[in-house]
Amino acid sequence: MLLERERERYSRQILLFGEEGQERLKDAKVFIAGAGGLGCPIALYLAVAGIGEIRIADRDIVDRTNLNRQVLHRESDIGELKARSAEAKLREANPDIRVEAFATTIDATNVRDLVGDVDLIVDAMDNFSTRYLLNQEALRSGMPLIHGAIRGFDGQATTIIPGRTACLECIFPEAPPAEVFPVVGTTPGVIGLIQANEAIKYLLGKEDLLVNRLLLWDGLSTTLETYTVERRPDCPACGEGVRS
Amino acid sequence: MKIRVKAFARFREILGSDLPIEFPDGAVMATILAALRGRAGDEGDAIFDGAGRLRTHVILMRNGRRVKRDELDTLVLADGDEVAIFPPVAGG
Repeated sequence: MLLERERERYSRQILLFGEEGQERLKDAKVFIAGAGGLGCPIALYLAVAGIGEIRIADRDIVDRTNLNRQVLHRESDIGELKARSAEAKLREANPDIRVEAFATTIDATNVRDLVGDVDLIVDAMDNFSTRYLLNQEALRSGMPLIHGAIRGFDGQATTIIPGRTACLECIFPEAPPAEVFPVVGTTPGVIGLIQANEAIKYLLGKEDLLVNRLLLWDGLSTTLETYTVERRPDCPACGEGVRS
Repeated sequence: MKIRVKAFARFREILGSDLPIEFPDGAVMATILAALRGRAGDEGDAIFDGAGRLRTHVILMRNGRRVKRDELDTLVLADGDEVAIFPPVAGG
């Protein structure tokens, strides 16, 4: 049941998907991997939309070079754990939701516990090795994984439903080379909000998710295209030879 | 025949965007890539390795379908085909 103040807080979106939809969001739990450029807008918009429980993990400490894009962190947070900084801002943004923040490196030994019993995983990582780990956890548990990544003015996103759609390794069999990537804050803003929008749609049970489609955002030419992607029968993560 | 090449992200800056390129009938994907290599010139390092092969993480599509690396020499293109080429990004 929604509280009276929740009916008021969410009144504009209750117009859109009803109290039943809002209750679905209130009952939902989401794991966000990363509290950086993507993680900040994703977490903020899911918090204010009233997702009942947000679990967010990031091992890093806020430094000044983060502040052009990681919009939950402020000058006064420099030196603070991103997990703690994000947690405080999310609680302030919406005191009616639960927030759990983990200042931990996501690795093979803890990914299962960190993800816990959520309804979906949102990929806000900055490297492909952890992304592949999240993909494997999504495949193991059957949880959807909403992928996003950015560089410069460019970004990509796709929604992965294990068993039904191409997985991350089907789409990206090879990780792009690691680098200190250039970025302007609007790029993770655009891609992060596409991911948050996908999360909300999935939790509401909406059709037409970004499944089996890779969305490409090119901010310099202001173009957005989607390409069909397919499962690879020989995918090492979800292909025919892999036990599920 | 005319092939439309769409490059994205960094590759758009290197190759230009939405290029119609003329090829002889029966051209295979490897021929299209060789033309792109020529067009990229010195900036082609982001797309091709030292031996001129497409870098392994680069995504190549024909008419919205992914092209596998082992079919570059055999995949014959047709007039009006669209080839898309882009680098996945990894930041967050």
